[in-house]
Amino acid sequence: MLLNFDRLGWWKYILLAITLLTAAFLLLPIVFIAALSFGSSQWLIFPPPGWTFQWYSELFADPRWLESAWTSFKIAVIVTILSVLLGLVTSFGLVRGSFLFRDALKALFLTPMILPVVVLAVALYAFFLRIGLGGTLAGFVISHLVLALPFSILSISSALEGFDKSIEDAAVLCGASPLEAKIRVTLPAISHGLFSAAVFSFLTSWDEVVVAIFMSSPTLQTLPVKVWATLRQDLTPVVAAASTLLILLTILLMALVAVVRKVLKQ
Amino acid sequence: MSTFSDASGAIAPLPKARRATGFGGVLPALAFVAIFFIAPVAVLLLRSVLEPVPGLGNYAQLIGSATYLKIFANTFIVSGLVTVISLLIGFPVAWALAIMPGRLTSVIFAILLLSMWTNLLARTYAWMVLLQRTGLINKMLIGMGLIDKPLALVNNLTGVTIGMTYIMLPFIILPLYGVIRKIDPSTLQAAALCGANRWQCLTRVLLPLAMPGMAAGALMVFVMSLGYFVTPSLLGGTANMMLAELIAQFVQSLVNWGMGGAAALVLLVVTLSLYAVQLRFVGNQNPGGR
Repeated sequence: MLLNFDRLGWWKYILLAITLLTAAFLLLPIVFIAALSFGSSQWLIFPPPGWTFQWYSELFADPRWLESAWTSFKIAVIVTILSVLLGLVTSFGLVRGSFLFRDALKALFLTPMILPVVVLAVALYAFFLRIGLGGTLAGFVISHLVLALPFSILSISSALEGFDKSIEDAAVLCGASPLEAKIRVTLPAISHGLFSAAVFSFLTSWDEVVVAIFMSSPTLQTLPVKVWATLRQDLTPVVAAASTLLILLTILLMALVAVVRKVLKQ
Repeated sequence: MSTFSDASGAIAPLPKARRATGFGGVLPALAFVAIFFIAPVAVLLLRSVLEPVPGLGNYAQLIGSATYLKIFANTFIVSGLVTVISLLIGFPVAWALAIMPGRLTSVIFAILLLSMWTNLLARTYAWMVLLQRTGLINKMLIGMGLIDKPLALVNNLTGVTIGMTYIMLPFIILPLYGVIRKIDPSTLQAAALCGANRWQCLTRVLLPLAMPGMAAGALMVFVMSLGYFVTPSLLGGTANMMLAELIAQFVQSLVNWGMGGAAALVLLVVTLSLYAVQLRFVGNQNPGGR
């Protein structure tokens, strides 16, 4: 009876109230920031005295904001491509291969997910200082790839495990070369895994702050670092405008994922 | 090429010589991880016992100082609070999500995912503004007549706890939802038939059955909170540092690699041992987030 909503009696209303309040709590900052970004008060007073696009025009007028957004995008795209490619090759090895320490190796590949990011950030910072990669595009790409690769390996491996290899073997029997069979039979079959890997990798890199704080230089910084640096000085509504655009991007990406999932299912 | 038999499993594979296959595929990733993950972290930890002089001096200093002990205490208290509050809110929500009618459930799931996917800094910024002295939360509390003077909700551990709980909630609701959904409703019917009232059903059937999920979720939230950097440093203010920020400070402002490495090792050891506990007792759950 506790697992039947209609038979919960008055408990039902308590559960419903807690759930709706929690949903409101989760939604509050997101809606609030979007509303504030159009508010005319410099001091972030809510409700604002009037409405304005001023913060958006300040955002777009400042080349440093655009530049850091472009840097973030560039890094995220490169990381996504590398992460999916490397994840694909690695997953084939992990799922299809049989060698000593295979499971241990898989666990090792996933450890960056559970390691506190600040430890990795500090360690890479020291390493890149020494070899001169600090503040470079390559430094950003490498460090974000360390964080994105586990998500890629996880998504692609699980897709590959769910794929019946005998279909690929059948294609080989029908005259396809092993590589051709992989490209024309296996890859389309695991495309949902590749897609998840790409989305996770992109978002991991795009949203990454901690490593980026250590990696950035005065001339090269990502959007999250720019937001971080601005926030340390003051709570200007320009950050609200930037945040709202980021939230919009999230919603678009979520919609894209939902659409692609639906298409891939058919 | 391998045979059909090992794919289908229907035909018993012929005994064959143990041979390593597929290792070539993992080599690039292994090299990458070795150079850019294992080596840097290992070097950092080594420096904690080598700099400025070889020995355990850094660790002695870390344990011997009241300032650092307070930072450890802050970290554990906040993480513990965040875990308990997330669990208290997350359990009823996950429970409701598991049994509520479909339409409302999907709306709430969409909100959960949206908040999870929204940029971490955007969310933290929102709380910095919301929790200010002149912020919306204080205004609402005063408006409702609950307080006369604005509360100090930000630049202290209260702010960190609120902001972190906000971020961690989805991470506890989602696994709990999965666990509660898998519970067979007939176990509760059986309990009811045997004369258990609602409260007994909850405390003696539902909660114990959900316990593995609660333990896994709680451990994950606790561990993630211990190592969090961004939210505590923006909502916490300088007087209430947490462990991750201490590590960053040692390295960035003080350029003290020995102490930075030592603090990093402490965080690492606590994190990995708690994960080991989780793997041992409650099975694998995939963490995420910063």
